[in-house]
This record gives sequence, structure tokens and C-alpha cells, in this order.
Amino acid sequence: MGDLLFNITDWMRGTVLLDWAFWMQETAFSLFMVENFWNVPIAQAIHILSIGAAFGSVLMIVLRVNGMAGAGLTFEQTAARFVPWVRWGLVVIVLSGLSMIMAEPVRNMINAVFWIKMIALVVMVLVSLSWIGSVRAAAQTAGVSYVGTGGAKATGWLIMALWCLIIVCGRWIAYVPV
Amino acid sequence: MYYPEPTTIWESIQYTPLGIFIAESTWAFPTIETIHVIALVTVLGTIFVMDLRLLGVASKNYPITSMSRDTLKWTWGGFILAAITGTLLYISKTSSYMINPFFMGKMALLAIAGLNMAYFHFVTWKTVANWDTSPVVPTGAKVAGITSLIFWITIVFFGRAIGFTLGIYDCYMVGQGDDGFIVSMLAGIACAGA
Repeated sequence: MGDLLFNITDWMRGTVLLDWAFWMQETAFSLFMVENFWNVPIAQAIHILSIGAAFGSVLMIVLRVNGMAGAGLTFEQTAARFVPWVRWGLVVIVLSGLSMIMAEPVRNMINAVFWIKMIALVVMVLVSLSWIGSVRAAAQTAGVSYVGTGGAKATGWLIMALWCLIIVCGRWIAYVPV
Repeated sequence: MYYPEPTTIWESIQYTPLGIFIAESTWAFPTIETIHVIALVTVLGTIFVMDLRLLGVASKNYPITSMSRDTLKWTWGGFILAAITGTLLYISKTSSYMINPFFMGKMALLAIAGLNMAYFHFVTWKTVANWDTSPVVPTGAKVAGITSLIFWITIVFFGRAIGFTLGIYDCYMVGQGDDGFIVSMLAGIACAGA
């Protein structure tokens, strides 16, 4: 596994990604991020806090579909409470993530695990959008008694698993052989 | 690898076979750390949901007892997992953590956050039947919510700061006369017997 990831990273070194990373490194924002010792840890803390807010909100939506939370609420009420927190949480996750990429462009852009994380993030967002749309449609007539079908429940847990995979990749960017 | 005889209680924890294994293995520390992150975002996420209800910011029409039932088991499950994984990370570099102001600060904040939660559950919670379905909660519950948010946000920052400062402080470097009060005080705990 380590060898495969290293070989992918090694291949990336010969692509235009490296030129982009070098260009990013010279931007004023990148220099700002590294000139103060605390900028990167603060960006990482904001990243984790916004992951917490979004992750907890996704969990509450998945639990509602499974009939394990939000008793007495329609799915629409649960969605109205938590979907904005997932959406805005993701905005803060992306912005804080971008500032971390700008702080260390080569470490991130030339890293197989970073790109696996980005693909997993896109897949998670697409699966979530399609899932929430179909659950909303199915839940409309059921009212407060709505509980998801087996497929809707399983897809909810798949989305939680994708969030965990993204977190795993996020941590291993720092440890994978490059 | 050769390890010297432990000279402090912290080194004797760090040089146990498990401590040495986690420190030397290429995969153990990152794997435990990853589980720690998944556990802590579960704690954070569910605590935010409960705190925002207490503050009257969100879920205003959802009973507080129902919100507690939805979130609390996940908060505790996540916390227990974070505590176990955190302990495993700690025993791999015990001496370095014991002299790190951010680690010790994080432990103090965790203790205060725990006391805040205990006071809320054993004192404020007694009258919950009176305000369970009300969008407005008593001041005591609001204070519990806002202090919990502040503590947990600070705990995350301190947690991240540990990773950036571990090894900056060392028993062999303190005592030169130019250490701050906190580092000198921590050195008294971390370097005793060294």
C-alpha cells in the first residue's frame, strides 16, 4: 500500500502539479500563512471545529432516517435544522482547508493521499445530495412517522463512512511516504 | 533500540513495552491518532447540537430531554473512545506531554468542562420538566451551553497546538533562568527525579 501510494506521489512530481505548487508557494497568501507560527495551527483548529459541526449534523440526519433521533419531528423539520449546518460547515471546511494547502502546497499537492481525500470528498457530496433529495421526496407524505427504507438507512451510514474515510486521509497526508 | 533507565515516573510509563511499541511503530501512532480525531469530531458535533439548543439558537421547538436522548449516548461513546486513544498516544511520549503547557492546559480544560457538565446534569437538570419544551431556558442552562462551547473550542485549539510544540519544551532545557512561570511550574511536575 505504502509503495503504491509512494509511486503515485513520485509520478505526480513529474506533472504540472509541481509547477502549480511552486507558484502557490510564492503567493502573498502562502507567505502570510507561514510567516506566523500560529497561522497553520489556527487554520487546523478551525478545520476540525467545522468538521465537528458538519459531522454532528450529518449524524443527526442519518439517525432521523434510521428512526434513532428526532422523534416527533418530520424529516423536513430535521433537514431544516441540520442541512444548513452541513452546507455552511462544508464552506468553512473548504476555506480553512484551502488556507492549509496554500501554507504547504508541495506537501499537499504532491501527495497521493491528498488527492484520494479530494475524490472521496466529491463522492461524499454527490452521494449526500442525491440521498437527501430522494429521502425528502419519500418522507413528504409520511409526516412524523417517517422512517427510511433499508436502502436509505444503509446509504446514510455509507455517507458517515465516507466522512470517516475523508478524516482518515486527512490525517495520513502527514504520514504517508512521499 | 536502547532505552536508558527511567529517571522519572513519566519515563517509566513511556518505556513500557506498549509505550515503546506505539512510539517506534510506523503505523500505530497515526492509526490511533486517526481514531482519536473521528471520536473527537463525534463528541464536538453532538455537544454543539445540545449547546445550541440550550442557548436557544437552534432546535428551539424540540424538547430538551429528547435532544439529550438523541445526542448524549454519542457524546459519551465518542468521549470514551477519545479518552482511550488519547491515553495510548500519551504513553508513547509521556515525558514530552507532561512538560507541554498546551497538553497540561488541555487536561485542565477537560476537567473543567467535565465539572461544568456534571453541575448541569446534577443541579440545573432537576427542574428540566419546567422548561423542557420552552424555547427559552433558565440562565443556568444557558451558562452551561456557552461555557461548554468556549471550553470545547479552546480544547481543540490546545489539542492542535500540542502537535506543533511537542519537543519544544524539555527537562534538559528548563532551569536556565529564562523560562516562563508556567513552564517552570510544569517542569516541577514533569522533571521531578530527573
